[in-house]
Amino acid sequence: MSATTAQPAAEVRPPRRAGLLRRLLRDPGAAVALVFAVLIVLAAVFAPLLAPTDPYDNDLSLAMQPPGSPGLPLGADSQGRDMITRLLYGLRVSLLMGVAAVAFGGSIGALLGFLAAFYQRWLDGPIMRLMDMMLSFPAILVGLAIAAIFGPGIFSVVLALSIATVPLMARIARSSALVVMRLDYIEAARATGMTDFRLIWRHLAPNCLSAIFVFGTLRFGQVILLGSALSFLGLGAQPPTPELGAMASEGRNFLFFAPHIAVIPCVVIFAIVLAFNVLGDALRDALDPRLRV
Amino acid sequence: MREPLLRIEGLRTVFRIPGGEFAAVDGVDLEVPRGRTLGVVGESGCGKSVLSLSVMRLVPPPGRVAAGHVWLEGRDLLALPMEQMRQVRGSRVAMIFQEPMTSLNPVHSVGAQIVEAMRAHDPGASAAALKERAIEALRRVRIPAPERRFEEYPHQLSGGMRQRVMIAMALACSPRLLIADEPTTALDVTVQAQILDLLRELQAETGMSIILITHDLGVVAEMADEVAVMYAGRVVERAAARALFEDPQHPYTLGLLGSVPRLDEERERLLAIEGVVPPPFALPKGCRFHPRCPFAIEACRMAPPALEEIAPGHLAACIRAPVEQSVAA
Repeated sequence: MSATTAQPAAEVRPPRRAGLLRRLLRDPGAAVALVFAVLIVLAAVFAPLLAPTDPYDNDLSLAMQPPGSPGLPLGADSQGRDMITRLLYGLRVSLLMGVAAVAFGGSIGALLGFLAAFYQRWLDGPIMRLMDMMLSFPAILVGLAIAAIFGPGIFSVVLALSIATVPLMARIARSSALVVMRLDYIEAARATGMTDFRLIWRHLAPNCLSAIFVFGTLRFGQVILLGSALSFLGLGAQPPTPELGAMASEGRNFLFFAPHIAVIPCVVIFAIVLAFNVLGDALRDALDPRLRV
Repeated sequence: MREPLLRIEGLRTVFRIPGGEFAAVDGVDLEVPRGRTLGVVGESGCGKSVLSLSVMRLVPPPGRVAAGHVWLEGRDLLALPMEQMRQVRGSRVAMIFQEPMTSLNPVHSVGAQIVEAMRAHDPGASAAALKERAIEALRRVRIPAPERRFEEYPHQLSGGMRQRVMIAMALACSPRLLIADEPTTALDVTVQAQILDLLRELQAETGMSIILITHDLGVVAEMADEVAVMYAGRVVERAAARALFEDPQHPYTLGLLGSVPRLDEERERLLAIEGVVPPPFALPKGCRFHPRCPFAIEACRMAPPALEEIAPGHLAACIRAPVEQSVAA
């Protein structure tokens, strides 16, 4: 018997697949986007070290200095604060709002999506109809309503963006989970007597992660844009807090005399959103097993 | 006779379809003796997989068990609350599936998956103890270098290895009954023999019972002590394996045996059973096999035949059994 059961000792190792990063960097656009995104994040993290001045340090004698003035490569805003400092600190606020909204709204959305897919018979209808209802409110409107309740501020913006992210992430997680639910290993794991919670946590969620990750990246760019829009409308970060949308809003009064005050934050917002969109698309391609070479 | 480990009584599992229901398993009675192997044979779609899922209460919606009892060690599994049923899965009754390639989760190491299966029944155990037990489980299914395999991922293992891992996972909590649903169908022939040998050795070691679901009569002949032949959701013949192969009584069993190629006989061509399995929503009246049966008479169209004992321990659902009379007639 031992002769038949002994397995040949030969290793069954497929050649190592190219790592995710390498596949990602194959696309030159993605490489640029990734480098830019990393720089942006580093700039935000190390803003206190990089910033030449204090973000609240105003000097009215320098107000509205154009870019290229001595000591002010990007000029100064209407209060005479260094644009570079304001941008660096503004990035922190904008990125943190984005991270908070995607993490908070995304987790709740993903959880609801998993529950809808896992208990398809009872929960799919109720949860997804609720998501549809949430989707029918524009994010700006949600922001207005929340600002009316809690008052304008960063908290209100994060809450509004989270609420706007929940139904989108729920849909992504659900559709991805429905596919995984049909796979044999879910049934096999269930046959070992695993609890529903552990089935979702250990087997369902990890296999939906790539879809969630891709959407989270794409959504991060969108959320920053939306958050800036809410701040621009005066619902978000309040002066003197530096925030990209709020900075653009402050600058719009001086659009004719000192366009740089509004234009520069807008360019930065544009670049961030573009970078994360490109990055999300490239991630989707890189994570798609069908496209693996 | 000793009380069997598992007794299925009048099991009926239905699937809802637009405009009605059909029964994939329609009134099945079976017994699985302790420490022995029951082979369940039949063509694709005869209800044998649904039967096994019904025992585990894992029938996917829109299917549900509509009637019957599944007695395991004095408890009716179909009447247990869900939480107790969950505890039965894995610890009393375990299951292995046809496709070892897809039955393991690609994102976890095989060791982690075995640990996970154990944790379901022993939530208090320490991680180190569980790892120890998981490596022991891998060793028990004759996986060489289990310490190293523990860390490996499913894609690093061959099909036979994965099926061994599945068996290790199923047996991790020492179940009394193992349901093996086509465990070797997806494997090539030499590996099949190894897996069947392994199952037999493990049965001898642990004294567990096995329900072996297969369409392969060769596998049944090699493994089973008792055999149930299923056709269109019903058991048409039940007997000890030897009796069934030497003296098949139901025309369908005869047909199945006639369609297996053999090396020890001269035969011009294999006999095929005429026709196809009727779809479950358009079953013929009377005996479900009569449209394909060479022995069918008028009475076969009238009423479904009962599963009756025609020799000690040998049951057949055919009004023309014992079959010698039919041939003579």
